[in-house]
Amino acid sequence: MTFQLTIEPLGETIEVEERQTILDACLRQGIWLPHACGHGLCGTCKVEVLEGEVDHGDASSFALMDFERDEGKALACCCTLEEDVTIEAEIDEDEDAENIPVRDFTGTVREIERLSQDILGVWLDLDGDPIHFQAGQYINLTVPGIEGPRAFSIATSPADGTRIELHIRKVEGGKATTWIHENLEVGQKLCFAGPYGQFFTRKSRGGTKIFIGGGSGLSSPKSMVLDLLENGWSDPVWLFQGARGLKDLYYRDLFAGLAAKYENFHYIPALSAPNDGDDWTGETGFVHQAVERVFDGQFEGHTAYLCGPPPMIEAAIRTLMKGRLFEEGIFTEKFLTAGDEDKIKSPVFRRI
Amino acid sequence: MAKKLGLKQRYGLLTRGLDWETSYQPMDKVFPEATFEGIKIKDWDKWQDPFRLTMDAYWKFQSEKERKLYAVLDSFAQNNGQLSISDVRYLNAVKLFITGVSPLEYQAHRGFAHAGRQLPGVGPRIAAQMQSLDELRHAQTQIHTISHYNKFFDGMHEFPHMHDRVWYLSVPKSFFDDARTAGPFEFMIAIGFAFEYVLTNLLFVPFMSGAAYNGDMATVTFGFSAQSDESRHMTLGIEVIKFLLEQHPDNLPIVQKWVDKWFWRGYKVLGLVAMMMDYMLPKKVMSWKEAWEIYFEQAGGALFEDLARYGLKPPKYHEQATADAEHLSHQNWSIFYNYTQAAAFHTWLPEDDEMAWLSEKYPNTFDKYYRPRFEQWRQMEKDGNRFYNNALPQLCQTCQIPMAYTEPGDPTTICFRESEYKGDKYHFCSDGCKDIFDNEPEKFSQSWLPVHQIFQGNCGGADLGDVLKWYNMNVGADNMDQNVSPEQALWDKWQAERSRVAAE
Repeated sequence: MTFQLTIEPLGETIEVEERQTILDACLRQGIWLPHACGHGLCGTCKVEVLEGEVDHGDASSFALMDFERDEGKALACCCTLEEDVTIEAEIDEDEDAENIPVRDFTGTVREIERLSQDILGVWLDLDGDPIHFQAGQYINLTVPGIEGPRAFSIATSPADGTRIELHIRKVEGGKATTWIHENLEVGQKLCFAGPYGQFFTRKSRGGTKIFIGGGSGLSSPKSMVLDLLENGWSDPVWLFQGARGLKDLYYRDLFAGLAAKYENFHYIPALSAPNDGDDWTGETGFVHQAVERVFDGQFEGHTAYLCGPPPMIEAAIRTLMKGRLFEEGIFTEKFLTAGDEDKIKSPVFRRI
Repeated sequence: MAKKLGLKQRYGLLTRGLDWETSYQPMDKVFPEATFEGIKIKDWDKWQDPFRLTMDAYWKFQSEKERKLYAVLDSFAQNNGQLSISDVRYLNAVKLFITGVSPLEYQAHRGFAHAGRQLPGVGPRIAAQMQSLDELRHAQTQIHTISHYNKFFDGMHEFPHMHDRVWYLSVPKSFFDDARTAGPFEFMIAIGFAFEYVLTNLLFVPFMSGAAYNGDMATVTFGFSAQSDESRHMTLGIEVIKFLLEQHPDNLPIVQKWVDKWFWRGYKVLGLVAMMMDYMLPKKVMSWKEAWEIYFEQAGGALFEDLARYGLKPPKYHEQATADAEHLSHQNWSIFYNYTQAAAFHTWLPEDDEMAWLSEKYPNTFDKYYRPRFEQWRQMEKDGNRFYNNALPQLCQTCQIPMAYTEPGDPTTICFRESEYKGDKYHFCSDGCKDIFDNEPEKFSQSWLPVHQIFQGNCGGADLGDVLKWYNMNVGADNMDQNVSPEQALWDKWQAERSRVAAE
């Protein structure tokens, strides 16, 4: 059995399993709540229950005192739900978040195109209402015959919610992506839910925006860049795309065309292992190295959006921080697959 | 209807204007310690207050917590809680805590009050003020918690006096004296970050779990009551280091030097905890080596991996401290066994089952290097020839611990290091302690070293009896081996009465 948990001031609603703690459910959904000890002793994860009944579990009577229980406080790290619940947590409201409610959709596969040697582009026409989403967000796609949905970022701009584009990289040994690569056909119906995620453009932060995408991590940046340019964003927008060889570099013509059309848009593809036949004269090396060269290692005051595999994200974060852009100006979407291990995290960073 | 204010906005309104620009006096006169350390702050408003606790809420929480704590302490006293502890030997850990640790809480109170006064930013000022009050409360509540044991047992009666004078207590005392006489930023890295964040789980947790494992419910309850404060202190430590590293690139080398220094200083103080965990607890929680693996190698490893994004390196000599984990507790307990006549708690040799436990926990070192030593001493005791070390030890100029540690990678050779400063020679137990001295020789050449002070005639007299009197030590009760102590006799009498009553 699952319950619905709404987290204020974000306004986001997530599913929580019967004996799952609020903290566990939130962290798994990418919603960061303050926390420290993780077992009810320190009180760092105190939240206010606005609506619904909760079970306080093993919360220490010193960390959550009787008068606080009476006032509707709870410790997210031990508290479980008895029914649908709304909490208010000590998280900053994000003025750029539209808090769009998640809905269920069905779509028909309209087009399938091989974008690179291991990435498939899939276009879905939505049955019924269009989807409203923020550029950068993702959907959870149900793949026929595969248990559990898979997350894919939307690559199209939010201007047209009747048709969405997904980039699907074939994960070695991955059931869902292998099925899509081998069996998906035009005309098939697919179900999905969305939009999800906190990875969207912070338009309230003016100034230079740097997008860095690697592998199929070009999907969100594509949507975000299109959205900015279509809406007349006048500050500089940089897109760095990392790929191994030329055959892995997709949408090069699209972005080169946009760079020619929009004075404030700059497109820098970087190849980490160009083949001899590629005849490559552009940036060579990892994408974070290209970013560092182009910006001369100085990033103060900019905003960066990183989307791709974890090692690319980590390398980019280190480059940006060395150039004095810190967590408040760095937004990431990590493309994790089942093989990526959960590492012990320190509390130094919240989102990145 | 107006939208309900978020917690951040509410806090902002409650604290607005607390960082006003002074007009009667220039700001640099009001905050005279803000710049001399070389730390550059561009924007104090970038400080993220992690807790957003206001003073009125603070009082409400703390008074409620203390009501609960004192209710438990009362019932502990009324029910003769001292009878429920695992064994009378456990109390020696309590003595080490009240003489060595509780006074540090008071030092931390003073230190944070000073830092709060001297830091120009409103965020850290409020956080330091609350932590200062927390530390004062912790000192008080610890004293009240432990006072019950003082009614029956020895070695606790003169804890503040002893903290200031007794030779081994100069180790924790000088650590905090060093921090409190540093500038406000160094204090925040030393105590807020290195001590309260990186090393606190190796101090607080072993004492509190030791209490839980050994039936000391009063101290356990104190631990619970303090834990919600400790997490706030840890969060403050993280915020301090992030803030300094983000404010200006010139801060990195300064902060790195402090992290290196205070890691090593703290690690040396924790040698007392290592010995407590491995030798003093009748029911053991885990070995020092295991605690070091969990709390430093794993948790600290993750921390420094994240901080590497700022260019900060793990503390210098941390590999040395990890290698030392195989030796630290054994060497420290040996020092105290040597000098039991001058210690304000009791010592003993590990029993067979304890030696077996140590062999299991330290398969690489215990049987090879330390068991033979303890067996030799055991034989000497049996022969009526208990070994006492009657010479005063040479102390390390930096950590003030007797120079009994061994060379890295060679556990059979004592490690000596020395430096010269203004024509005098200074001695150190390790490369880490020597580096610290070499960076600040003016400061550390003035260290109040207990052995030097005894030789200079500043400690009550020339022989041991004079010095112990000057320590206010109750000779024959506070010191010497456990098995000949009055409190062991008292405990045995209580146990005998209990079995007699049970038999009737």
